[in-house]
Amino acid sequence: MATIELKDVNRSFGKGVGQVQALTAINFQAEPGELTLILGPSGSGKSTFLTIAGGLRRPSSGQVFIDGQDISNLSSRELDQLRLNKIGFVLQSYNLLPYLTVAEQFQLVDRVRPKGNLSPQELDQLLQELDIDQLKNQYPDQLSGGQNQRVAVARALYTNPAILLADEPTAALDSVRGAAVGREFKMLAKKKHKTVLVVTHDLRLKEYADRIFEINDGKIKQTK
Amino acid sequence: MFLAIREIKHNKLHYGLIIGMVALIGYLMFMLVGLMLGLANENTAAIKSWDTQTVYLNKDANENLSQSLISKQQAGKMNSHEALVGTVPVVLRKTSGHEAKQSIQFMGLSKSQYIYRNKLKITEGRKPTKAHEIVLDESLKDKGYKVGSHVKLNSQSTTYRVVGFVKDAQLNIASLAIGSLSTWQELKGTSNQFVASGILSDRSLSASHHRQLARYSVNQFIQKLPGYSAQNVTFEFMIGFLMVISLIVIAVFLYILTMQKLPEYAVLRAQGIPVKTLVWGTLAEAIILMVAGVVIGLVLTFGTSLAIPAAVPMLIKWPLTLLIGCSLVILGTIGALLPVRIITKIDPVDAI
Repeated sequence: MATIELKDVNRSFGKGVGQVQALTAINFQAEPGELTLILGPSGSGKSTFLTIAGGLRRPSSGQVFIDGQDISNLSSRELDQLRLNKIGFVLQSYNLLPYLTVAEQFQLVDRVRPKGNLSPQELDQLLQELDIDQLKNQYPDQLSGGQNQRVAVARALYTNPAILLADEPTAALDSVRGAAVGREFKMLAKKKHKTVLVVTHDLRLKEYADRIFEINDGKIKQTK
Repeated sequence: MFLAIREIKHNKLHYGLIIGMVALIGYLMFMLVGLMLGLANENTAAIKSWDTQTVYLNKDANENLSQSLISKQQAGKMNSHEALVGTVPVVLRKTSGHEAKQSIQFMGLSKSQYIYRNKLKITEGRKPTKAHEIVLDESLKDKGYKVGSHVKLNSQSTTYRVVGFVKDAQLNIASLAIGSLSTWQELKGTSNQFVASGILSDRSLSASHHRQLARYSVNQFIQKLPGYSAQNVTFEFMIGFLMVISLIVIAVFLYILTMQKLPEYAVLRAQGIPVKTLVWGTLAEAIILMVAGVVIGLVLTFGTSLAIPAAVPMLIKWPLTLLIGCSLVILGTIGALLPVRIITKIDPVDAI
């Protein structure tokens, strides 16, 4: 079963002559165990696509299913819970609170979601896999860009979500670190059976993707 | 609380400056309250320490004890809870030595009445028993007066002997010298026709008790003391403005800090962190900043109260000071409602 499904989704902004159609008749599915890449130029509608797929924004029309649940009519509070429980976000910047150590970033999640998070052993294993297990007591400003991004991935996975959504995760990274992030996402999809959806313009990530979609002028097309 | 404590610990200088500002505002407020109470006390210490409830003055005295004169006939019959008092401003000087003259109030009392018998708090020496004996307010000890000192009042040739010191013997920002009513008559230059300036009672009595005199409750009497109300209103305005300023300061600081953190908060909201966690974090931050600042302000006030010279009219009433401290914390928390409003409106979409 698809963990993310968009059916005939349209999204427009504004009204009357100033109305802009950001997404048109989007039909899309993302499956567990797959790394799906969404490519497209700036202004193509891929960020709007991500916000709708991630339950951050409602479509103007159409239906969005997360893990089989239609989220179109959920309240803001229910959407908060859905994102907290089922979706991990890795964003371009401001992923981590600057005044919390790496360990405290996870403690914050424990405070709002006391049950269902990774056990201490599972977290240690995840941090080892991401090669950041030595950084627990460091603050984000003491980490490199790549380390910050890996901590953000660990933070996103801490709630054991079915879905990992990433927005331009390699934008601030050099080619070596960008490739490392691509390999991590591939590993997460394959080994942890996550649905990994990455929105990016970074074509270097193409080689790690199972499926690739391109969005242009609000319309989506599968290219791989 | 989790977010608030960690953020404050991580940005010590940042938040230390805000705490410092709150501490200074609190310190200033506590000192002003101390000065207000100190000055008020110097106006009313004697009246209050004698548990006065009712004051009778001459009807034409314009509610002023110093301007009032009452005759034996006007005083009429008095009960055991009433006492004649005669006040007159005098200049006190020692017969020997070069100490500065002191402008004080002389108060004449009757030995047979309740104030003399029950209310004088002698801290050293004894009560005056003879015509040329007086007791002084204990603040005059700092001016070089001792038990056994010989003093003169105004330019009289009569020498008076200081036989003791009394606590809380102050009226209308002047220390009192307390002696007999006959001495008051001499100093006032009145004939025997006038027996006192007024009558004080430690009971709440009606106007019909002395029909020829004007009756005032103790609060009415205190409010009419020269300069008393104007002085208190001035202080109350200053303290009120400082409270409003503290509210604005904390609101502005937290507003600026919150605006700087909006991108982080948007990411947290996108990650599903409930808005109440962020709201409570901001309120907790305001409470911690205000409590820390107020506690430092209280410590500074306590230190100052120990070090300040006795001549400064400062009276710290800790229950009132703590109440004002709590009010500051509450106002600071109210000030945090402005950034809280912004937090509730954060759109998680802004994270993308």
